[in-house]
Amino acid sequence: MRTDRLLTDSELAAFAAELDDLGRRTRADLGAVDARYIRRLRSVIRLCTAAGRGLLLLGWFPPTWLLGTLLLGLGKILENMELGHNVMHGQYDWMNDPEFSGRTYEWDIAGPSDFWRHTHNHIHHTYTNVLGMDDDIGYGVVRLFPEQRWKPFYRWQPLWVTLQALLFQYSVAVQHLRLDKVYKGKMSRDELRPLLRVFTAKIGRQWFKDYLFFPALAALIGANALAVLAGNAVANLLRNLWTFLIIFCGHFTERAAVFPREVVENESRRHWYLRQLQGSSNLKGGKLFHILSGNLSHQIEHHLYPDVPARRYAAMAVEVREIARRYGQTYNCGSLAAQFATVLRRIWIYRKPNGLGAQPT
Amino acid sequence: MTLIPFVVARRSARLLAPLRALVARGWLREASVDAVLAQLHPAWRLNRVFSRLVSRRWVADDMLALTLQPNGNWRGAEPGQHIQVYLEVDGVRLSRSYSLTAVMADGSVEIAVKRQPGGRLSNRLLDHLAIGDAVELGEPFGELTWPHQAQAVLLLAAGSGLTPLLGLLRNALGKGFNAPVELFHYVRDAGQHAFASELHALQQRYQNLRVRPMLTTEAGRFSPAHLHAFAASDVLTCGPFGFVNAVNEWWSSTAAKTPLQAESFSPPELNSNASHRPVLMRFARVQQEVVGDTRTSLLQQAEAAGLRPAHGCRQGICASCTCLLLSGTVRDQRSGALLSEPGQAIRLCVSVPMGDVVVDI
Repeated sequence: MRTDRLLTDSELAAFAAELDDLGRRTRADLGAVDARYIRRLRSVIRLCTAAGRGLLLLGWFPPTWLLGTLLLGLGKILENMELGHNVMHGQYDWMNDPEFSGRTYEWDIAGPSDFWRHTHNHIHHTYTNVLGMDDDIGYGVVRLFPEQRWKPFYRWQPLWVTLQALLFQYSVAVQHLRLDKVYKGKMSRDELRPLLRVFTAKIGRQWFKDYLFFPALAALIGANALAVLAGNAVANLLRNLWTFLIIFCGHFTERAAVFPREVVENESRRHWYLRQLQGSSNLKGGKLFHILSGNLSHQIEHHLYPDVPARRYAAMAVEVREIARRYGQTYNCGSLAAQFATVLRRIWIYRKPNGLGAQPT
Repeated sequence: MTLIPFVVARRSARLLAPLRALVARGWLREASVDAVLAQLHPAWRLNRVFSRLVSRRWVADDMLALTLQPNGNWRGAEPGQHIQVYLEVDGVRLSRSYSLTAVMADGSVEIAVKRQPGGRLSNRLLDHLAIGDAVELGEPFGELTWPHQAQAVLLLAAGSGLTPLLGLLRNALGKGFNAPVELFHYVRDAGQHAFASELHALQQRYQNLRVRPMLTTEAGRFSPAHLHAFAASDVLTCGPFGFVNAVNEWWSSTAAKTPLQAESFSPPELNSNASHRPVLMRFARVQQEVVGDTRTSLLQQAEAAGLRPAHGCRQGICASCTCLLLSGTVRDQRSGALLSEPGQAIRLCVSVPMGDVVVDI
């Protein structure tokens, strides 16, 4: 349950001014340290991926197969979260390095980057947790808040969620195609076609790499192609599960708020700040955990400052928490297990039209 | 680390065409290919132009001439053009443009770098760059050309405005241009008469050249009286805005038939006291120039001019409208920060021009 104080106009202005100031101070401090960090991270990812693929060439021998698969999965997770997601937000645009340019970066995942830049950077970050506008609320297959209209289809949502977790990268990729609109006839097939071409081309390249090229390479040098294929599939699966876990804990926890459509009409930057704080939830953890989550464990800070390098969120979180406390706003933070338990509870409860007597969130 | 000689790296640029095709189609990441090439030779890249510093020599108290040998991706340049020079300083890849003072037969180019007080890039180039270091270059641009049909050529340079004119002059004389040429070089201190010995040698060798070093402390700023009625048919000038303006006024007041060839450089105009005034906005990609104001965002102004730049949230969140600031100064409305770094990524929707700007739309 959230207990947020209603802010007066002057309080809201002061609240936003403090957040603005924190952002300004952090941006002014960016420099060589941040550039070195992202380059090192990039090198670590290359190393993990190369080592993982190398070990998988040794076949089914359990220690090397497991380690190879884990390293490849780790490389994919880091590339997806701490590098790709953050670079595509333009967090490192200030470096003016084409390798880390938010507009052109293409990540190693099924969804085309251009799709993501629209559905995530624009739609999700602008309309965070606004019902009917933020498509990330349940991705159209899960009902997480009683405010979402119930459909018979939601009765089976624990099953849908499980499938989504297993195939998370495809669920993210398909989002931009708006198949729901096509199905309802609100979007023509002619509009869909060019998108579909980009979509299949990207997935084709991903499949070719993981399920054809590297297994074939293994076969060519006399290694076990099947072991490579299985290792790649498991690495992708691990990444799917991990990203699903982190992302569902970002906005669907027990104390995350949703908003009606009306809030975005003439919404000022101040209200936007407040909505980001109320609609996001953080995860406690160590430094490695934060990096593995792409620092999305600092979801609140990420939503307040999507374009500030994510490695800065931990330090900013101390101040944001203090600001939230002074303005009487709940700072939603908990351990991964505790937060995820509340997400699972929502999935279970709201599968029914009036779960638990329509308990308010 | 240099594992292969530069000449091999330069010559094999064409052999990489298949890799280039794979990168262009999204099968390979350019940065990964570049990482491997850079390991083999620091100035080797797939598409980007990097060069090797071959020599450095002081040509004035505050000016250093650098000879750079570009890699195989370089497509050549004309004397009188300038190039962007990129160098990383404190994590940021900065760029400045420098005129080519010479274009050698083997493809090497010479630039002259003047020390700017507090200049972040010039001081780094002057004090830290060693022979053999790799420097990134941009494509050459600029439209100054030598008037080969002229009866008498007058070159008017102020400060480092000498550099493009010197490039043109050396080339023209080398090709046998034999009509009279007079070069006036205005500087504040005698030690700033750059390339004095080269110019002296040229004057000895070519009877049609007269070099007139001018000191503004003695002779004052440019005045037609300095020319001693030298009857020029063509005039080329380069220097700060005020100087070029004075030359332009004089030349258009004479009965001259040929238009003045002029290039001016000025420090970015800062206009922080928010007095609203018209500014000239140049949208480089569409080659359009419009008069705008210092009140509204570049995005709104570009749209008002009939352009449709990519954009998303229109409030500085999603980074969809990010594009490059090529020159001039803008203010970030969110932070109030002034941005004037050429080649820097800015967000159109929250950037307001503070003076004349060139933006890569």
